[in-house]
This record gives sequence, C-alpha cells and structure tokens, in this order.
Amino acid sequence: MAVTARSVSEALRGAVGADRLIVDPAALDAAAIDGCTPRWLARPQALEHVAAVLAVATDERLAVTPRGSGSSLTLGHPPARLDIVLDLRDLDAVVQYNPDDLTVTVQAGVTRTALAERLAPRRQWLPLDPVDGAARTVGGIVATNASGPLRARYGSARDLLLGVRFVQADGVSTWGGARVVKSVSGYDIPKLMVGSLGTLGVLVELTLRLHPMPEMETTRVVTFSTVDGAQAFVARVLDSTVPPLRLEILNAALLSACGAPPAPAAVAVSVGSVEPAVRAAEKALTELARAEDGMNTGVGGDFWRRYDAAMPAHTYPVILKVGTLTTAVAATMREAERVLAPDVAVAGCAPAGVVRVGVRASAADGVVPGIAAGVRALRALVAESGGSVVIERAPRQVREAVEPWGAVEAASLALMRALKTEFDPLRILNAGRFVGGM
Amino acid sequence: MALAPAVVAALKEILEPDGLVLTPEGRLVYECDMHTLYKGAPDAVALPRRAEQVVEIVRLCRRERVPIVPRGAGTGLIGGAMAARGGVMVGMNRMDAILEIDLANRCATVQPGLINLWLTDAVKGRGYFFAPDPSSQMVSSIGGNISTNAGGPHCLKYGITTNHVLGLEMVTGAGEVVRLGGKVAERPGYDLTGLAVGSEGTFGLVTAVTVRLLRAPEAVKTALASFASMEAAAEAVSAIIAAGMVPAAMEMLDEVMIRAIEAGIGAGYPKDAAAVLLIELDGPRAEVEIHGERAAELCRRHHALDVRVARDDAERALLWKGRKEAAGAVGRLAPTYLLQDAVVPRSQLPRIMREMAAIAARHRVLIANVFHAGDGNLHPLICYDDRVPAELERAQRANEELLAACIALGGSVSGEHGIGADKAKNLPLQYGDADLNFMYRARRVFDPDHLMNPDKLLPTHPACGEGFRARRPTVPAGAWI
Repeated sequence: MAVTARSVSEALRGAVGADRLIVDPAALDAAAIDGCTPRWLARPQALEHVAAVLAVATDERLAVTPRGSGSSLTLGHPPARLDIVLDLRDLDAVVQYNPDDLTVTVQAGVTRTALAERLAPRRQWLPLDPVDGAARTVGGIVATNASGPLRARYGSARDLLLGVRFVQADGVSTWGGARVVKSVSGYDIPKLMVGSLGTLGVLVELTLRLHPMPEMETTRVVTFSTVDGAQAFVARVLDSTVPPLRLEILNAALLSACGAPPAPAAVAVSVGSVEPAVRAAEKALTELARAEDGMNTGVGGDFWRRYDAAMPAHTYPVILKVGTLTTAVAATMREAERVLAPDVAVAGCAPAGVVRVGVRASAADGVVPGIAAGVRALRALVAESGGSVVIERAPRQVREAVEPWGAVEAASLALMRALKTEFDPLRILNAGRFVGGM
Repeated sequence: MALAPAVVAALKEILEPDGLVLTPEGRLVYECDMHTLYKGAPDAVALPRRAEQVVEIVRLCRRERVPIVPRGAGTGLIGGAMAARGGVMVGMNRMDAILEIDLANRCATVQPGLINLWLTDAVKGRGYFFAPDPSSQMVSSIGGNISTNAGGPHCLKYGITTNHVLGLEMVTGAGEVVRLGGKVAERPGYDLTGLAVGSEGTFGLVTAVTVRLLRAPEAVKTALASFASMEAAAEAVSAIIAAGMVPAAMEMLDEVMIRAIEAGIGAGYPKDAAAVLLIELDGPRAEVEIHGERAAELCRRHHALDVRVARDDAERALLWKGRKEAAGAVGRLAPTYLLQDAVVPRSQLPRIMREMAAIAARHRVLIANVFHAGDGNLHPLICYDDRVPAELERAQRANEELLAACIALGGSVSGEHGIGADKAKNLPLQYGDADLNFMYRARRVFDPDHLMNPDKLLPTHPACGEGFRARRPTVPAGAWI
C-alpha cells in the first residue's frame, strides 16, 4: 500500500510540480472538507497541471474536489470520498480583456475583487455579486451559480457566461461556447457548466460578458409596517417602467444588521443610469412607495457594503437559499421567520425569486432537528410552484439531518445522472456532493 | 425508404384523420425549410394536437427505429427541418395554445406551435412583451425559436431566446416526458433547460414552454445614420459600445443592400450612402434622450453623412422599413443567395468588412450585407445565379473563406440561425475533437438511438461518438517509477 501511495505521489508531483503538491499533514488538515482530510493538496498554476492531475486521478481512481476561495465547501452533501483537493486560486490570470467588445476571458481562480479592479478604469463590470463574495473566485461563482442583488438587472451566471474551458474527469481539456457575445453553434455547453459544482469537469477558464457601469447610482431603503406591504411595493416597481438595478427584500433582523431604522420589513432598491433618468426614477419610486405606505429611509453610500456583510459565517453558520416565485418572496420570508429561530435573517432578490435565510449560531447549536424541520417546512411551502430550498452553508450535522439540495423531479434527475455517468463514470469529480448524491 | 405498413397503421391510430400527411404531394410541402438547398421529404408528416400523441409518436418511432424530424413553422435557415433520411416529420403547428399568462411573475407558458408575435400581442395591452424577435417573428413559432435559440435585432440588449426560457416540457428521444426548469428560475441540479435550448430537435420534442415576459420600456428612440464608407459606420458602432451604451438594436446595411432596397420599395436613404446604421434605444425616457444625442454625436464624429431621428411611430416604422425588407430586396440583385450568420468580436467589424470585400473580389461574387452590427453578427448574402453551376461553386468558396476569416478573428460560425444540416461541417473550425466529442455524448444521453433529427447540428463522422474521442494528456516522462 505504502509503495503505491508513494508512486501516486510521484505521479502527482510530475503532474503539478513538486512545489505545488502539498503533503504536509497540517496543510492537509487545513484543507479538510467536512472533516474529510485529503491525501494530497494540489495547487496548479497552469491549465496543463489540472489536466495532468486529473489524468492521474482517473488512472488511480482518486476522488478530486476542486476549490476556489473555499466559501462553498459546505454546499451540498459531505464528500463521499476525497483524495485530492485541487486548489485553483493560483490560476489567477486575466487572459484577455477586450473592453471594446465588453468581454473578458479569465482563469477560474481570479477573484471578483481582482477582476473588478481590472475593469473599473473602463467603467465596466461583471455584475455577479453574491453576498459576502468579494474574495470569491469567478470559477467558484459560476460553478455554484451564485448571484446577488445585481441579478435584478443583469441576470445570473447563465446570462453572462459565453464560453468555458473545463477539464473532464479523465484529464481531457474541453471548450464549450464562444468568445463573442452572440453564438448558437453547437450545444450550449456553458449552460451545463453553470451550477454544476465541477461535477462534469473542472472549470479552468471562462469567457464572460461584461456590462457598462451606470454613470450614476442611487439607493434607498423603503420600510413597511407589514411584510405584505413590501411584497406589494415590489410588485408595483416591477410593473412600472423603472428598471431597478437592485431590488432586495429584507426582514427586520437583516435590516437592523445593516444599521437601518427598525421595521417589520423593507425593500432596498437602487437605480442606475444617466443623472436625469436616475432623478426621474427616484421620483417614480417615491410615489410607488407612498402608494403602499412605505417609509423612505435615507441610507449612506455604503449601504450595499453593509448589506454584503450582514450575514457573516460566525453569526449565521446556516444559510438557506430559497428559489421561489417573485410573488411568493414575502410569504417565504414570513414562513422562514415562523419555522426557524425568532431572529432569523432573511433577504433576497425579489425579481429573481431568490431568498437567502440566515440562521443564527445560537439557534444552530444543538438544535439541528429544529433547522431540519424548518427546511422541510420551507420546502413544503415552495414545492407547489416548483421552488427549491438548498442549504448553501451549514455544519455537516445539519446536512446529514436534512437533504441539502432537496428533491429534483425524477425524470430530470435521471437525465442528470445519465450525464454524470457519461462524463464521470468513476465519480472522480466532487464525489457524492451534488444533487441526488451524484 | 418508405414506412412499414404497420408503422403507418400505428400513426393512424395515434393521430386524427387530418393529422397525418402521407400523399407524395402533401409530403413535398415539407421537404425543406427556408434553406432550400437542403431537401428531403419525410415519409409521413404527423400533426399532433396533444402532448400524449407526441409521446406515442416518439415511442412508436423508437420501437421501429424510424427517424423523427421536428418542425415548427419551417422558417429556419439552416436545413434543420428537412428529412434527408425520410422518417416521420412532426409538425408542432397545431399545438399553439397559450396555456397561462402570469404577469405578476412575468412569465407565460405556451405550446410550441404558438407564433412568436402572438405572445407579445396577447400581453402588450398590459405593457409587456416577449423579447426574442427574429425577423420571422410574424410567422415563426416559439418552439422553433427555442430549437434554434433564435436571435433578432433586439437581442443586442435583451439577449437571445435562451435568456428568456425558464422551462420546457419535452419528450426525449428515449420517449420519456421530462419537465425541465419552470416558473421558478433558481433550482438545484444541472441547467438542462439551458442545454436543451438550441439543441435543434436533437434531444426530443418540446411540448410546452415557459418563457419570460418583460415590461415594455417607457420610451423608444430610433435613429438612422448614413456613412460614406462601411468602415466609418463600423467604427461608429464600436464607439457607441465603448461609450457605455447598450442600444436595443444596432443594424447595418451596406452599399449593395442600400441600392437594392432603393431600387425596390425605397426607404429614402441618401444616394451617396455606402453604409446605413440603424440605432434603436429603449428604456427610461430621460436615458433614451441622452443616449440618443450621444449616439448621434458619435456618428457625426465618425463622419456620418446624415443622422435622422424618428419623431414618432410612423417615422420609426419608416426607418425600419428598409431593414425589414432587406432580404426580399436582394431578389433584385441575383436569383438566389447563400445567407451567412457568422459572428466576429464587434471591435473587429472594420477589419472583417475589408476582408469580406477582398474575398468577394477574389471569387467574383456579389456580397450584400445586412446585419446586427451591435453584437458583431454578420449576415452577408452571397449572391449567385443557380442556373450557372460555376456561380454556386464560387459562392460556396467565398462562403467558406469568410467563415474561416471570422473564426480566425475569434468569432463563431453562427450567431442566431443555428447549425442544422448547413453548418455541421463547419463546426470543426470552431471546436476541437474533444469539444465535439463532449457534445456527441451529451446528445446520446437524451437520444440514445440517434433518431431525433439525425445528421443535424453535429458533423457526421465515420466513427461518430467514440471516433472523436480525444487523447488524454500524457504524464511527463519519468513521472512513474
């Protein structure tokens, strides 16, 4: 056994370079996922390294979990097997930035912040802004289909990913999509890779559509005496000709975490455009708010930074991501407050129907059954409309007590399994973590 | 290859008497889509009215190993809806109901045979619209739009069909009914909806679709600028994009096209114009006004001969008139043409225009251009006379060269029409063996027996599937003990 392990180590060293294969026990412990300690930690610096590591993994039947910033390592099931953690953070090059085409090609390990800094001088942005995600990598955001408030205007990763290079489980480097903003040639493989958690291939290079940043942006928080008032205001905004840049619904706990005046519910809305259009939108929003008895609250310019930091992991170790109808965001918020801890924090992108529920540590400690029951109750609420509740972040015990992804329609799941079996029959990639334990 | 009598009998059992076309003259109607170079009449045409019939047709054909070719309105431009191998064509036109409109959640569920524009017609009174607007939208079906992932002039701002599809109900090639996605966009698992849109009927037959509806913008402004050269116009396009504006549409016509249109319906373009740029902005009124002024100024700075801004809907319609009639006007130039759909990075428009002129001269063909300049999606119409055999050959050579030139600039072989039978052979320009192999294997998951629209979308290969299998990287020498 020891001889085999040594020769596999040699092979991996050959694949990624001796200084990029870490076997130091302390480093391996630090790279553990859900208590599973890998046997190797590889830090590839080139796409070829990723391919070579996966080729060895397939030959040796080793299970590989790719990672970026590590923000989503507790997304999904605990790993069924784990031999190699593939840390992609050193794949951090901006390969090609074409400001005149509003496209950029980056390696998967580029962080959102690093990319934003690169794009800012041309007043462009990649409008994928998952909450608390400044340090997240672009590859990780796409692989987990993470989105944030800007989804209201710009859509999600599926609307922004144009092309993708990924390495299949057996080490074959593969490209899907295009480097131009419009292409329908062949199957839309980028769509398949968004949210796939690297289970069909490890994402290594991404070509993305960029957007111009609005010249001017304003934000207001409108508070309501009832949750239904917030829902009605959302409906009015969406039925108006004001295109919101962000339109987030917040419950009382999240509102106070953002330092805003207390209220049972609120909507944070920002608009962005040229100045006269922003002024006109502001005026329209004031009237729409008044129609629902909303109170306009001035907020500081750093509201979204506070919003971003409002559900830190140490305070909210459990976060649920609920997918529901736009018309059901308030009902979701109310149900979350009812079935989970009293000071549960709720916020979400109302137009997209994505609601995040944070459960406080005090509630999470030793009350796993309560959280599991809460998840089930929320699932029952959204089931009829085809909604979902995914455990985005939680200690292992919670995800063992309740299915972290929820049910997927049987015929769809069968197709997903067939795809997984086709492309990763040995279950090399992220073994067991994805939907249905794939 | 005629169908076995038992298959015909089974189809008669499944379908209403008027839902099955078997006569030679009846089948001839279905021998091609709008790319008339590719012809193949099916052995039978099934016109189901209910999803259950679709399921039975697919299961029957699978049992009998009969190819299935889906068809919408037949307005495709890629030879997608034609039955080169015979088999059963399934025309979805009769399944054209609007099943649900849910404005509060900004979506609708419809059957695939619904005409694109009818959906917008159904909701525009309440201030909403369905964004994908292929030029065929008055006649093309939403199912067909989904199959080819159709675009249109306004996808510069709004995205192509896939950006507006939330869910599909589909009968796969394996005869299974699946519901992919739905009104709720956020859901765990692979985005099979995204993978299925644009699969050109190779995965299965779509029986219901949930699409997004958008709130109509407050204001629309249309401007038309003419230029003395194509390059100046292309540079104006780049300048507008670089200035941080995303117009709803930016369409360009070249000199050949302008002449053809003026000789026909006449759109009142300046006589000395060698390029016409149509710019449409929509959104909040104040934004549209300011961006309109800025775009006009950028056109003038790039030596526009003339910039006209429509003052009302009638003028707006007039500015669009030439663009909408363009394809028809080409009939004045030549009996027929090859229509290209390649894409280049939009910053490369001036360069590809120069290369296109050189290619046209080299092969002695006339190329007319009408295209979606804002996103770099070209539509050169390569004219030829089909009564002169050598002309088609020259046109085809020019076509291939132009495609290669677009790919060399980092482009794509198709921006919005799709691949079908026409461009399958061109896919290897854009994709390597491993990439095509991946697509092949994805197809097999949905259609294990390769009965759904065979020979479309992917190049055929003597050993398709495994034959494409790429080699793995070799481990560096000396790595093994």
